[in-house]
Amino acid sequence: MIADWRERLRIPLMLMPAMVVILLLFLGGLIMGLMQSFEYMPVIGKNDFTVQAYVNIFTNRTFLRSLTLTCWIGFASTILSTILAIVCALVLRQGLPGKRFVTFVFQLNVPIPHIVGAISVMLLFTQSGLLARIAYLLGLISEPADFPALVYDRYAIGIILEYLWKTTPFTGVILLAVLQSIGEDYEDLARTLGANAWQRFRYVVLPLIMPGVLRSSVLVFAFTFGAFEVPYLLGQTFPTALPVLSYLFYHDVDLNARPEAMAMSMIIAGLITILILIYMKLTETYMRAD
Amino acid sequence: MTRKLFALLGLLMVVILVLGACAPAAPAPTEPPAPAAEEKESLGLSGALADMTWDEIVAAADGQEVNYWMWGGSDTINAWVNGWLADQLKEKYNITLNQVPVAGAPDFINQVLGEKEAGQDTDGAVDIMWINGENFRTMKKADLLYGPWAEQVPVSEYVNWDDPSVANDFGYLVEGYEVPYWKAQVVIGYDTAKLPEPPPTMEALIQWIKDHPGKFTYAAPPDFHGSVWVRMMCYYAAGGYEQFLGDFDQALFDEKFPACWELLNEIEPYLWRKGETYPETVAALRELFAQGEVWFEMGYAPGGVQARIAAGQYPETVRTFVFDEGTIANTNYTAIAYNSPHKAAAVVAASFMISPEAQYSALEILHQLPSLDTNLLPEEWREKFETYPFGPAVLPLDVLAAHRLPELQSGWLIAIEGAWRENVLEQ
Repeated sequence: MIADWRERLRIPLMLMPAMVVILLLFLGGLIMGLMQSFEYMPVIGKNDFTVQAYVNIFTNRTFLRSLTLTCWIGFASTILSTILAIVCALVLRQGLPGKRFVTFVFQLNVPIPHIVGAISVMLLFTQSGLLARIAYLLGLISEPADFPALVYDRYAIGIILEYLWKTTPFTGVILLAVLQSIGEDYEDLARTLGANAWQRFRYVVLPLIMPGVLRSSVLVFAFTFGAFEVPYLLGQTFPTALPVLSYLFYHDVDLNARPEAMAMSMIIAGLITILILIYMKLTETYMRAD
Repeated sequence: MTRKLFALLGLLMVVILVLGACAPAAPAPTEPPAPAAEEKESLGLSGALADMTWDEIVAAADGQEVNYWMWGGSDTINAWVNGWLADQLKEKYNITLNQVPVAGAPDFINQVLGEKEAGQDTDGAVDIMWINGENFRTMKKADLLYGPWAEQVPVSEYVNWDDPSVANDFGYLVEGYEVPYWKAQVVIGYDTAKLPEPPPTMEALIQWIKDHPGKFTYAAPPDFHGSVWVRMMCYYAAGGYEQFLGDFDQALFDEKFPACWELLNEIEPYLWRKGETYPETVAALRELFAQGEVWFEMGYAPGGVQARIAAGQYPETVRTFVFDEGTIANTNYTAIAYNSPHKAAAVVAASFMISPEAQYSALEILHQLPSLDTNLLPEEWREKFETYPFGPAVLPLDVLAAHRLPELQSGWLIAIEGAWRENVLEQ
């Protein structure tokens, strides 16, 4: 009986350290933020709940432009990096010479933090960056302003470049694993039935890897939508990505701007939660299909 | 079923633990050591340091560590704080100075405010802060500062509290809640190798900007260098600062400032990257200047350019200038958080920062203008300050003093920063 008790307590007890951190830091912060987004801040004398902050931001042109930009960054990064990852995974799957080395290089940046990637993009692509200097030495440009604006630009090219650099290998590694587990039998079969390379990809490989593609791109989108440091370092002053806008509001000297900052964070958190639910749903569906 | 029950039970335990951790810990008062043998008059500071003499405060500070939250955007200032200042505090008072570099004052305001919300009233992360203007006002209004203390400490005999630019921080009464640190005045840096004669007035500079597309920009407010730059352009565009001295006046603001937004929008196509984006920080602006993308930089420290030349960041040919009509000048300060756990060391360290030694070292190494009044100093110090040889990139003190424009009260600053976003950046 006692042994049974112990056994049953074991799992909750083992989970506890992680749960403490999650509940205290994550849920605690989320609840505080939620309260502040409803303008409940007793410390500066606000004791009533209102939804004014949400009304304010949804009628604010700055917020709507930031939302558009953030969606653009999220979709562009996700779609481009997924396509690139599929291509890379298909190439790396072939038994080419030096495959192991190339695969190693391909995965090398997975542990490198985004902030390092952002600084690298800055050093390489700004108008006085390394590429601009090389272009100057080659006589292609005569002053910094001649170099195309790839960072702090209106299309967020610098931000998307950084996300491509970082998320392509992430998706690629997942797809590579999926491809390896599928093996080549289905394709061989399709080949014997007369399917050409495109048909084999379109009707055999793609449907097989689709679950992996969908799952990893939901994760990539959730990240690129909610991340702060890359758009903060590489983005234009206006409009900014939503997390940066929320930070600016949070840092406003007027403490009354805080509820709006928190409301934005709640919207970001809400959207990402929806994405996670989609992700779980997808995983469930495909697991059943398997 | 039972499994779920146990999971719930586990969760409950976690919640209890969390709540326990959140509950205010029993205050652990840092008892001051027994009074020194000689009885001196207490300084009459507030809170934990009440009834203590200076010697007792110094004794209590012995061995404490202070967290100094300050703007960390200048490599030379950081090096001085972590080097000379930290060494002196260790040597003289056995205080360990721990610099916490921040991007701007809102970082520590949010920290202290967050602690106050959480009920952390005795053991905050912030001891001393480098602060002024609207940030001081915000913190003082929200009761986030310790004080008054600044007029009682011995070193304040060298501070001229009758000087309105010291007793008022951007038009807001200091009342002993912060001690002056350095004087600041905007100077503009340019490279004589590219530009032998800088434009002498704001008007001439605006013409220069139009004649040289892409070679000028300013940091985006709320960066405080960007913010002061916008104010100076508005002084020019709105017909002088005199009318704006005094409390914020919305009607006057709405009447006069559109001329300024018009000017800023007019020059925007001629700015770096056609004004589609601005450097987020003055550090980014200086990077652009060092790389040759823009031809002017700016700073609040008249000796900053000299220090950046010495650090190898700028070429030897860079010089500074002020406009004929003057540039904005102010005082910056050191304040102590209301929940600083090391108030004794904070008071001692902040006092030391305005001592003649520290002010002279900062002048020598960083070319920061002293905020103590040299006329109140002992003879030998006064002479040292008055005969200090500045480098070629620093304007003489009398030239600076003759070209000072006042700051506006913080109500104006907040309105200007907001309106800049709305009318210039987001247009």
